[in-house]
Amino acid sequence: MDLINQSVKKWDHDPKISGAAKYVDDLRIKDMVHGKILRSTIASGTIKEIRIPTLPEGYLIVDQHDIPGKNNVHIVDDDSPCYSDGTVNFVGEAILMVVGEDMKVLDKILSEIVVVYEEHTPVLDMMKSDVIFYQYGYTKGDPDQAFQEADQILDETFTTGYQEHIYMEVQGMIGFYKDGKSTVRGSMQCPYYVHSAVKMVMGLPDQQVQIIQDEMGGAFGGKEDYPSILGAQVAVAAKKAGRPVKCVLDRREDITCTSKRHPATMHYRAAIKDKKITAIDAYAVYDCGAFTTLSKVVLQRGLIGATGVYTFDNIRVNGKGVRTNTTPNGAFRGFGGPQTFFAIEMFMNHIARAIGKDPFELKQQYLSKKGDITATNGLYHFDIPFPEMIEKLFKESGYPEKYQQYKHQTGRTRKGIGLSLTYHGCGFTGAGERDLIKGVVRLKKNYNDTVEILTAGTDMGQGLKTAFVKIVAQTLGVPMHQIIIANPDTDRVPNSGPTAASRSLMVVGKLLERAAVKLKDIWVSEEEQEVEEHYVHPEFTIPWDTENFQGDPYPDNSWSANVVEVEIDTLTGVADIVGAWGVYDVGTPVDKMIVIGQMEGGLLQAVGYGSMELMDANNKGVIRNNSLSDYIIPTAMDVPVLKTDVINNPYVVGPFGGKGAGELPAVGGAPAYVAAMESALGIDLHHTPFSQEDTLKALEAMKK
Amino acid sequence: MVIVENGYIPADLAEALKIRGEQTVIPYAGGTDLMVDAEDHAYLFLNKVPELKRISEDETYLKIGAAATFTEILNYPGTPEILKAAIHYLAAPAIRNMATAGGNVSNASPKADSSLIFYVSDTLLKLASAKGERILPIEDFITGRGKTALQADELLVEFLMPKKGLENYYYEKVGARKALAISRVAFAGLFNMEGERITRCAAAFGSVADVVLRFRDFEAMMIGLTLPEAKAVKSEFLAKYDQAIVPIRGRVSADYRKHVCMNLLEDFLTQNGI
Repeated sequence: MDLINQSVKKWDHDPKISGAAKYVDDLRIKDMVHGKILRSTIASGTIKEIRIPTLPEGYLIVDQHDIPGKNNVHIVDDDSPCYSDGTVNFVGEAILMVVGEDMKVLDKILSEIVVVYEEHTPVLDMMKSDVIFYQYGYTKGDPDQAFQEADQILDETFTTGYQEHIYMEVQGMIGFYKDGKSTVRGSMQCPYYVHSAVKMVMGLPDQQVQIIQDEMGGAFGGKEDYPSILGAQVAVAAKKAGRPVKCVLDRREDITCTSKRHPATMHYRAAIKDKKITAIDAYAVYDCGAFTTLSKVVLQRGLIGATGVYTFDNIRVNGKGVRTNTTPNGAFRGFGGPQTFFAIEMFMNHIARAIGKDPFELKQQYLSKKGDITATNGLYHFDIPFPEMIEKLFKESGYPEKYQQYKHQTGRTRKGIGLSLTYHGCGFTGAGERDLIKGVVRLKKNYNDTVEILTAGTDMGQGLKTAFVKIVAQTLGVPMHQIIIANPDTDRVPNSGPTAASRSLMVVGKLLERAAVKLKDIWVSEEEQEVEEHYVHPEFTIPWDTENFQGDPYPDNSWSANVVEVEIDTLTGVADIVGAWGVYDVGTPVDKMIVIGQMEGGLLQAVGYGSMELMDANNKGVIRNNSLSDYIIPTAMDVPVLKTDVINNPYVVGPFGGKGAGELPAVGGAPAYVAAMESALGIDLHHTPFSQEDTLKALEAMKK
Repeated sequence: MVIVENGYIPADLAEALKIRGEQTVIPYAGGTDLMVDAEDHAYLFLNKVPELKRISEDETYLKIGAAATFTEILNYPGTPEILKAAIHYLAAPAIRNMATAGGNVSNASPKADSSLIFYVSDTLLKLASAKGERILPIEDFITGRGKTALQADELLVEFLMPKKGLENYYYEKVGARKALAISRVAFAGLFNMEGERITRCAAAFGSVADVVLRFRDFEAMMIGLTLPEAKAVKSEFLAKYDQAIVPIRGRVSADYRKHVCMNLLEDFLTQNGI
């Protein structure tokens, strides 16, 4: 491997380990007051009256009437209100903010406010919703004919549940207003998203809005859209209060009202002829919650991946994102992919068993390779290194032997092993990079020959600063300590786009590499110099047609192969995870240790999604699992053996051969886990999370 | 004694009992539960009171001070395996370094990991006030969910765990994960024989009702029987439990809890040759 792989101390290691790093909750600012939000306690209704108690001096209420601009938070569409417009649409919707110095007094005021609602019947079941936010579909080949000529048709429904991010640091923002300028700082993935949201809500021009990212204690996609809402809320509050206003959510509040992974219901059909799959027909419904936020793009990505890593001649994929009176769902590592990849991976296992084949053999038969036509009639332009990855994975995990060995077990404990193969498309879908984001980066060389990286990229613990510094230092041929990188401030950095979609290293890193090459060319020691680079779209891609879902949605994909092994206790339904293995292709890993760290964490998170991360709401739409003792994520004790590895498959267009990595491991864990449960139980399974209770139920049913 | 802003730090038990008798204070041992919802209140900090930290034993009892931490209990050479098994799955090391058996039991939660073991092993609790001492079986100490027999002037001082017959135990905790998990169902059993006759067939169930369940009259059915005789009444024995256990519904269904209880009880008997 190259120099770029060699692990260095993470750029943010010392401040975070020593405790010196300041998160938004740590910041004490002169004259600052606190804000606490009054939230809807019902899922659907109209506010008839709000009775506010007499407020102590220095305390005030902020609501929709205080918004100087529009009461619309710009995300993709603008339907999310900043403060309730008089209706409430899910439990946890922000109605107003109480602002003042003492948090206890704020709590007391909140408890004394009475909201009189006219309640409406909420829609809580996505399958009963008749409001369609988005709807897409595409066809490849002639699926109708294939189904007509089939000698067997398989028809199954899969469901996946919520997943909550559980970033260590909850959401928090501070708003400032001074001399006609709004400044918002806090925990966020995408400063320029917050910038455009605050601009619209405050009714201010570009230069009158400033957004600063503070240290961020994790995000996983959860701080892609929500900071725009909270940012807008504190901006409005700061203007009214005339003082800085900080609002940091409580954990229960955070789980209740911030975005999660979309639950989905997916109906799959397969046409089989002469033991071959001749067509796949998939229909996916994603539960968007009350507002659209990022659902449009989440759904698109889910549908693009609906037939997984396989190439079929005939495909039909349709899907819709529907409105329910639940918390709006948004971005979560994998971004729509984990739902449909779960469905297709399980479906392939079931098809294999239905036609008397080994699941892996069947998967191998349809595995995509370079030169194949994709589901959307694009092209796989590059080598797909599954053979090498699978060989490595099987050697580590012993999958093929164990899969045979675990058939027909009896006794109190039974083992099982499952496999999944997935991809994650790198970067924004379609021409988003070229048409929407148009990323810009700058390198600023100081008189003392230090070089500052200026991008809007944010480090949430994933290692972005380290990777950017490595790329720039190595390209310039200077030591890393000569490079400066700070948290982005929109007054200082150009808009290089959001830190999302596994795009930062591949897209922004590439821009930085090009900028560094340029700077190196013109380098004059002891002189201030600056270079700027703009996004250039890779020319080899087949243009993406968003209307018809045709072409190359992504310039390239990252690939993953995963195995999970379990041992179930037939008396309790408890499944011990014996081991979890993953082999990944992220191009050339820019810093191998950081990449492995990301793969391990992502795989663990994905196994949690498949097994224990259960979130449900009661019949009034109130989320029950809104605390860390109720919403269960795995610990190191739950997956004691967790082994991940990467292969080196340089991506020609990426910086130093790198491509997207962050989201990839979140896709394949759940299908591998549930496949392992199928192997242990000897039956077909159709949902995540597959809980202890589900296991015992399945075992009891088998007894009868 | 040290008086601090939010309470009292007594130097010994006598001081602690004096304050307890004179002031309205919340006894604070490890603080791992109290700190979650810290209130403006006066606390009686017991974590430095030597008499409450002591772990010792005589011929009959293992004596565990109410403010001994779980790590201290785990490291004590005389701690029986059944208690160690439960402590191993109690929260996580950092919490076990602070949390105490006295606190775990005084919360009177049916989910308390150590309570289950004290129930099945017939552990006695020593309570004290400035006026004197009394000793109660744990079943009489815990009077309901979150309720105990502790009087306003009393402190829980010590556990007296009978040492005899703890080797042959059965323990299973079903949590939502392997660490930092509140139990969803927990089962503990103790089985002893003298010669060919059963002398103990104790079974306790945690997390299924308002308190840990133990049915002494059902257990009595087995006492004095030989294994073949026990086998003959096995189905009747199981049927009694099946009827008596009516689990609460919570994060898991009542049905699940019931199935697990019965599966484990039956396995407990099977493992012991019944």
